Amino acid sequence: MTHKVIEEGAPTRGRAFLTSFLRNFLPATPLLLIVGFFFLFPIARLIYVSFLSNENTFTIDNFKTAVQEPYRTGFINSIKIGLFSAALAAFPGAIAAYFIETRGSSKLRRTIAVMSGVLANTGGIPLAFMFYAALGIQGQLTKILKFFGWDLYAGTFSLGSFIGLLVVYMYFQLPLMVIVFSPAIVSLRREWSEAARNLGANQLNYWIRIGIPLLFPSFIASFLLLFASGFSAYATANALTVGNLPLTPLQIGGLLDGNVSAAQLNLGKALGVVMIIISACAVIPYLAIQRRSARWQKR
Amino acid sequence: MKIKLQPPLAITLLILGFFVFVPMISAFEYSIRTPLTGGYGWTHYIWAVTEEDFLHYILRSMWLAGVTVLITLFVLVPTLTWLHLSNSKVRGIIDGLSLLPLVIPVVAFAVGAQISFPEFVQNTVLELPFLYFVLALPYAYRALDIGLSAIPLKTITEAARSSGADWLRTITSVIVPVIRGAVMATIALTFALSLGEYTLTVLLHWDTFPTWVTYVAQENILGAIAISMMSLILPFLILTIITLFVPERSTQGRK
Repeated sequence: MTHKVIEEGAPTRGRAFLTSFLRNFLPATPLLLIVGFFFLFPIARLIYVSFLSNENTFTIDNFKTAVQEPYRTGFINSIKIGLFSAALAAFPGAIAAYFIETRGSSKLRRTIAVMSGVLANTGGIPLAFMFYAALGIQGQLTKILKFFGWDLYAGTFSLGSFIGLLVVYMYFQLPLMVIVFSPAIVSLRREWSEAARNLGANQLNYWIRIGIPLLFPSFIASFLLLFASGFSAYATANALTVGNLPLTPLQIGGLLDGNVSAAQLNLGKALGVVMIIISACAVIPYLAIQRRSARWQKR
Repeated sequence: MKIKLQPPLAITLLILGFFVFVPMISAFEYSIRTPLTGGYGWTHYIWAVTEEDFLHYILRSMWLAGVTVLITLFVLVPTLTWLHLSNSKVRGIIDGLSLLPLVIPVVAFAVGAQISFPEFVQNTVLELPFLYFVLALPYAYRALDIGLSAIPLKTITEAARSSGADWLRTITSVIVPVIRGAVMATIALTFALSLGEYTLTVLLHWDTFPTWVTYVAQENILGAIAISMMSLILPFLILTIITLFVPERSTQGRK
């Protein structure tokens, strides 16, 4: 509309606008079209439909149900598994990344990078098989532990329980931590530790005053990304649990497949929207911190 | 070449290695068991490979991943080249847009996809490469962005253009070879992601190699373990080959 008005009012400026539009937007159209149609449109529609009742009238009942039982427990469990798996993986992952990046040869670092890339993407049935084979009732590690007097299955442990899932999630969370935290370590310059030493700082001083404050934002950012990854993991949880552990992604999957029926047809969409909001609370700060630290991480 | 490992590094690698390889080797041990004779053998691998569906699904996953890679390169390389050259105002928007898929959990994305697309899109398996493209976008975009930032793009392009190359030729035979490290990294991660994608595929009721394993598990559990092992080794091989081919400097951008 505005476009047309300007063109009528001032033809030269209109043409200028058109050329500037072409220059500024046209080459980006293929990308914008694909992202718009295959990504923004489904998400917008998801949000829109989540506000519709069965009769297609506006309602917030879907959201009311989404925060009640059994979905409330699903959210609590999902948030808990996201937080715990991130907390357990963040520190060891950061230390591993530190030693690999500062002490490893370039060949080793490259190998680890490839392996982390693959491992961070494992999940679902293959990952479940690996852990059944190692820590299942008949698993190799279970047998070894039993031999040494620790019967894993004496209590309530199972791979499909919360603790079991947590152990399995470590398998992709740890490599993910190594991947996202390594760039921060690489950008710690040797000059800084040398300068600190020249000014009379010892190793501890250096870490307390320089190293940790510099790495801390990236550490928090990595933690947030790990939380989002653990929170929204579907495939692995689906392969390991048998309906004993309510998790939001599984509940959505069940509603989507029609395995579970709900009185409200659009309940699954509301659950999805709430998931997006929770995930955004973690990922957006992650991106913001990344952006800030990228400034000094550039060489 | 002498490999020297310092103690803290050695301990780190030992612990990580233990955690990574114990489950993997345990599963491998299962996959080579032959319950009939009580010994070991490749029975389940042979069973899996000779299974009719094996080739069908592995080829299907491969070509879907291939199409995803093509879409990624055809769309992203020209767009990013242009964004870098023109300093367009939309760059900020597109940068942000490219990261947005990280925010959306795949399950939620799957629900959105299921209720949005018209029939003709939902009825063709070709919707998957476009959706995989979206999932890989944050990584692919960043890899190419870093690659393009690390080269004197403007100089190279002007040189190519003034030597008489058109845009197509400039991109295909000048820019892409110069940023081949970033291009290879993009290919590797897009291919690996598409090959292993499970959640979106299964929720949209498509069958690919990763979802096929679920069916096999119901009839032949040891065979399914063998297939799982292969599905783990495959991306390892692809990524290792690609990183071996790529010179080190170019994969990490300017340091």
